[in-house]
Amino acid sequence: MFALVDCNNFYCSCERVFDPSLNNRPVVVLSNNDGCVIARSDEAKALGIVMGTPEYMVRDLIREHHVAVFSSNYTLYGDMSDRVMKILASFVPRLELYSIDEAFLDLSDLAYADLLQLGLRIKRAVTLQTGIPVSVGIAPTKTLAKMANRYIKKHDKNLGVHWVAGDRLVSEMLAATEVGDIWGVGHEYAAMLGRAGFRTAGELAAAPADWMRQHMTVVGERLWNELNGRPSISWDFEPRKKKNICTSRSFARHTQDKTILAEALSNHAASCALKMRNEKSCARFLNIFINTNPFRAADQQFSHSIDIEMQTATNNAPEIIRYCLKGLDLIYRPGLNYMKCGVTVGGFVPEGSVQAALFDESNRPRDKKIMETMDKLNQSLGREIVRFAVQGFEKRYRLKTAYISRKFTTDISQVIHVKN
Amino acid sequence: MDAVKMNDFLIPFMDISVPAGFPSPAADYMEDRINLNNFLIRHPEATFVVRCTGTSMINAFIPPSCLLVIDRSLKAGNGDIVLAHINGEFTVKYLQVNEHKCRLIPANRKYREIEVTDGSELNIWGVVIHIISNPKDFRHVCFG
Repeated sequence: MFALVDCNNFYCSCERVFDPSLNNRPVVVLSNNDGCVIARSDEAKALGIVMGTPEYMVRDLIREHHVAVFSSNYTLYGDMSDRVMKILASFVPRLELYSIDEAFLDLSDLAYADLLQLGLRIKRAVTLQTGIPVSVGIAPTKTLAKMANRYIKKHDKNLGVHWVAGDRLVSEMLAATEVGDIWGVGHEYAAMLGRAGFRTAGELAAAPADWMRQHMTVVGERLWNELNGRPSISWDFEPRKKKNICTSRSFARHTQDKTILAEALSNHAASCALKMRNEKSCARFLNIFINTNPFRAADQQFSHSIDIEMQTATNNAPEIIRYCLKGLDLIYRPGLNYMKCGVTVGGFVPEGSVQAALFDESNRPRDKKIMETMDKLNQSLGREIVRFAVQGFEKRYRLKTAYISRKFTTDISQVIHVKN
Repeated sequence: MDAVKMNDFLIPFMDISVPAGFPSPAADYMEDRINLNNFLIRHPEATFVVRCTGTSMINAFIPPSCLLVIDRSLKAGNGDIVLAHINGEFTVKYLQVNEHKCRLIPANRKYREIEVTDGSELNIWGVVIHIISNPKDFRHVCFG
């Protein structure tokens, strides 16, 4: 048996914990740089605010209905997620973090006759201790547990726990779930299955295994097994290693100035390098891109990128910045209105197993020490107190976070203030 | 993110050289140094810190400026000091509950009790379990 525990409207719920007057009010959270809506409370969903909509498109709706708007506060969400996951881990021997607000729990070795009661206990514990409401789906496979979670959110959110015990409940749930809403069925498969005449998960579960294998390869066979109650998706305890890291951002105003592009790329490069140092990995490749604003139809359009292979894999900020600036020299064209630029690094190797190039001239142990010192200073004095001159001092490339809440749980100077 | 990360496991370390044959007599008696987190926090996932200013709880030894440690996992009972959210604001008060009524009571006569009626939106956010303050911040305060 598996349980899938999912925090309801997680980012909005985090904001509500620290400002309960937001309860019963529509709340939305915006993506990085205050771009799009990435989380909505139930009230905001009811207003018709769609996931992923750019903020300016719902501005009227927001004003009219007094929707509370927040920039994403990942420091806060990360800490609240950590609390939720630790509480979940206290209930079961095995747990798999699926995303910031979801986890699969292994219930197979537990001596509970009534898993519904266990689900309710888990839900109550998380909500009591953290203030975050959660839903729990319990079923024989991961796919069905995910479906059960979705099902209960739709049908009885207050109860919030669904144990799909027995064939009758399974078929009831399968019949009520559309093919496109099955975990792991993307747009393309959903369209294909629709054309083939499958409407619900129940119909798909009843399809011949051969058909599934023929039209959806091993993925289909696995899905079919999962829908029929045979666990076929293995546990994944290792946090997935990232394949590449990308930092990019639009300018607040377009620019023709090469030094501004250089400054922005240096900032992106430094941020990529920091992320790599935190993960103790080094990149072998990097890519930089610059482009104009495709929405300014009158402008001449230009978009260019370049892949660079670094002589020796590195996570050393000045070295990566140097490569980026070299790349910029190669792709920059004057006289155009640039809107966005970015840096992607990839081809990761663990820090410990980097092979230096034959004619490598840098003093790597020294560079490493410099980076460590810099990171330590920045950790104790504040982000980016120590940085490279080429990164500049203006906040042009910092994230736009006009509506960010405080770091209530990680910074003693930003905790809830009670005026008593 | 690492959900089952253990608390930092500290191993006592004595940075002294020991002449061979004469071990430090204290070596067998080393213990972990006092860790205030262990003392102040019983339920780490449910514990939050808030800053409190104002004099309404002065006779409950909550000075005009301090930090309060809040445990959300405890059930608030009659007589507990709680962090409550009522009618749009956070407040720290004594909780008085019985079958007839529920009130939030200050520990300072200059402040009024808050009657919790059917119309008020009360949310008991957590129970105050510790008061952290610097005596210098209230040297001019007279309790009484």
